[in-house]
Amino acid sequence: MIPFGAEEPVVQLTAQSRILAAIIALAFMGMILELIRRHRLQERYSVIWLLAGLGMLAGAAFPALLEVVADFMGVRDTNVALFSIVLLLLLGLSLNFSVIVSRQAEQITRLAQERALERAKETDRAAEREVNGSRAETRA
Amino acid sequence: MRTLVFIPAWNEEGSIGEVIAGLHESLPEADVLVVDDGSVDATAARAAEAGARVASLPFNQGLGAALQTGYVYALREGYDLCAHLDADGQHPPAEVARLVAEVRDGRADLAIGSRYRDPAVAAEDDYRPNLSRRIGSNVFRFALTLATRQRFTDTTSGMRAANRRVMALFSERYSPDFAELESLQRAVREGLRVEELPVRMLPRQEGTSFLTPLRSAFFIFKSLIVLLVGHFRPHNAEVGDP
Repeated sequence: MIPFGAEEPVVQLTAQSRILAAIIALAFMGMILELIRRHRLQERYSVIWLLAGLGMLAGAAFPALLEVVADFMGVRDTNVALFSIVLLLLLGLSLNFSVIVSRQAEQITRLAQERALERAKETDRAAEREVNGSRAETRA
Repeated sequence: MRTLVFIPAWNEEGSIGEVIAGLHESLPEADVLVVDDGSVDATAARAAEAGARVASLPFNQGLGAALQTGYVYALREGYDLCAHLDADGQHPPAEVARLVAEVRDGRADLAIGSRYRDPAVAAEDDYRPNLSRRIGSNVFRFALTLATRQRFTDTTSGMRAANRRVMALFSERYSPDFAELESLQRAVREGLRVEELPVRMLPRQEGTSFLTPLRSAFFIFKSLIVLLVGHFRPHNAEVGDP
């Protein structure tokens, strides 16, 4: 525990946790690249995830960064800073998804409307042909 | 003047035929289009039998998307006027004809049929909304009047007539969830003349309203947010004179 009134934030990451974080970050980024390679994730949606992975890696490599951030946020405990950052990041990501879902919902609606209108016109043309056809028959 | 009357319909096989027949009688010169919003019953077949054109959305998209489909069709096919009404038989086609005449004669860009506008009509009407619906109507009425500085009495009326300026505005974007309320706000904001006309409506023939008290409350809350956000939206540069 940090004694009350301590000025400098102290990084509490052990070597073991840093190595673990680095491995997880690398595995995570590897997974992202693999998903892109298999066309299961589009490049444009992967940037944000790769950035998240890089951030994790940077935190594991240079815990001093975390100290700077904690200092900036005015929290004594770097773990609090870490959790806050991760939470904010997840919040931002899910908002990003909501925006994407909204855009795609609108696109799907447009597509459905275009298809409905296209088919309505087709049916109309078919009906017209039928009418013209029967007229030609009666003339013959 | 070429007129299109379109009817958004979702599983209304019981009433759609009669509505179309009524339209052929009251507006014989108008073309009728049924926008079938992903119905799983025989709505599309009944509509075609009754002599209407049918545009079928491949899956249910909600009232706003269905209405927008109608406006897009009217705009692209070059109709001068369009109108729409509910498929459940609540809206007498003769009243729709009055709305169309109002727009045709240039007294409004968008004419709304209101069942509350004329107190005498409203009083003798056998339409008796339940409590949550009454609260909802009043909140909407107050909020929309506040947002538009124009008096509206029947904010959720689905009986309307419009000219090409309105078609252009509603084709471009139409809120999928809050079709009636937000569209009124936008039309007024874009400087279009929106007029309410007192009309008679009939009790529902088929089906029941989807609103429960909890849903109503949620719907009211969402609608107020939509109105609030709509108030700060940028104006639409596209909609000028036709």
